Amino acid sequence: MITAEIMGAWLVVLLTLCIFSFLYKDNPFYKAAEHLYVGVSAGYVAVISFWQQIQPNLFGRLWPKLEDTGEVSVLKSVWYSVYEILNFISTGFGTLERSIFPEGGIKGYDEIRLMYLIPFILGIFMLLRLVPKLGWLARWAIAYIVGMAAGLRFYGFLNSDILMQIQSVAIDFTADWGSIINAIILFIGTMTGLIYFFYSTEHKGVVGRLSRIGIYFLMIKFGASFGFAVMGRISLLIGRMNQLKDYSAAEYNYATPIILVFIIISLAIWSFMDGGNKNESTA
Amino acid sequence: MEAIKKIFILLGSLDRRIIFLIVGLSVLIPLLKPDWVNLPIRPTPESQIVFDEINKLKEGDKILLSFEYGPSTKPEIHPMAIAILKHLYAKNIQVYGFALWPDGNFMSTEAFSEVSDDYDKIYGIDYVNLGYKPGQEAVIKGIASDIRTLYTVDLQGTPINDIPMMKDVINIEDFDFVFSLSAGFPGTKEWVQYACDPKNIPLSTGCTSIQVTDIMPYVENNQIRGILAGMPGAAEYESLVERELRKMGKPGKPGEASGMMAAQSIAHVVIVLFIIFGNISYYITRKKIRKG
Repeated sequence: MITAEIMGAWLVVLLTLCIFSFLYKDNPFYKAAEHLYVGVSAGYVAVISFWQQIQPNLFGRLWPKLEDTGEVSVLKSVWYSVYEILNFISTGFGTLERSIFPEGGIKGYDEIRLMYLIPFILGIFMLLRLVPKLGWLARWAIAYIVGMAAGLRFYGFLNSDILMQIQSVAIDFTADWGSIINAIILFIGTMTGLIYFFYSTEHKGVVGRLSRIGIYFLMIKFGASFGFAVMGRISLLIGRMNQLKDYSAAEYNYATPIILVFIIISLAIWSFMDGGNKNESTA
Repeated sequence: MEAIKKIFILLGSLDRRIIFLIVGLSVLIPLLKPDWVNLPIRPTPESQIVFDEINKLKEGDKILLSFEYGPSTKPEIHPMAIAILKHLYAKNIQVYGFALWPDGNFMSTEAFSEVSDDYDKIYGIDYVNLGYKPGQEAVIKGIASDIRTLYTVDLQGTPINDIPMMKDVINIEDFDFVFSLSAGFPGTKEWVQYACDPKNIPLSTGCTSIQVTDIMPYVENNQIRGILAGMPGAAEYESLVERELRKMGKPGKPGEASGMMAAQSIAHVVIVLFIIFGNISYYITRKKIRKG
């Protein structure tokens, strides 16, 4: 019997082998899987961002459940009539069922926070990039994001990456010999590495020699990074191979061998046809 | 001598697809025949620190477990998540799951459902999954100051005020430990910068291999308590947890990462050999060209 699990396994195997087929050369299988991945990822992020952030945290703060906000006043009624207008629009002018704007407000908060009109308006400005005449308004939203992110990151970097890291370069001479030697190596590596990136003086004489030592430390770092990168990529390959191995069992209707043979035959046919040559010549 | 040189030149001009095939086989064969290669797993000091830090936590302590990875990095990080959950559940520590990546929702849901039943843990009392919020480092900043400004409901849509274990939790200061399962940005670095350093909350991490050299300075400076480095880190942690569970009389299934380490080791040997052969081949070819 074909269950959802078996269908899922076949899909996983097909998409994995489509991506792996790039190792032979660029081909339609790879392109299809790549486009599908980009599309699904973008769609998923958009949907989840809307339902987990915009709907509960933005609309939910602007229009919380009316009964939770205390006394109902005229102003509140007017404010909630805007909510109803938005609902009318979002339901395709009343043709669909309510989903984004539930009856009577969104559950979660107990007071209306009009301050959130600012991100709401900035969000609309962002979407106005799609309208050429009003696209300039998106710059305001981008300016806010850039300013906020720069400010937020500045503090984080200053504290954790600069101040605290400078502290770690200090040598503790009361520690054991092993730690002192380690700390001295770290100190030399940090100083010479910084000298290498100091461009205000020509790298000659003492500065040149120190910057050369700095290069060696940097090379060791790059070597370690490359080693770890290889290890990471191999781990991912192992993960895929392991899954392909699991799905080659009879309980999954031999998904891996069947799809593998199908892709190899299809690639062979494609390679012998004009499409393959054309693709190769334009690559 | 000339024959050896010819072999090396031939190796240097090998079609890249043959190299891919050999690397693929070096991974596949140990997976198909795990008994052929049996290498011991010895925990590194960094993995041991992670284990000791988590082992120090007491019953009823609260841990924030952040899922910052997706299916693409699952083979490296997911075994860590499983081993850590086993360790935490065995010690009756309350687990609060968060996700900084959209795909983190899948990973956290899968990890919780895989382990929670084995340890008879109840949702809302022993563990909670609050899910993903967009905003990257702003989310971490929000968790550090007031969780409720970001999270009104959990991943299942239950208002967090109705979840018993959320009652006394306001911000990151209410947690005893933070563990970041990280595959990139936003991840471990951001937890250090925006939450754990400013609020002085102990943090450990399990990250992808590619991030290790970037995270190491924080580990050396004790801003992060130990690190589980990629798949080997996961295998080491699995072995430590397995030993601890056996001691506690709660043996479980062996971890997934340990079973993959043979493939990892063989593949590394093959790649190192190719790098050496490639360099020798390049050296011989260059010398030959210079001689004319």
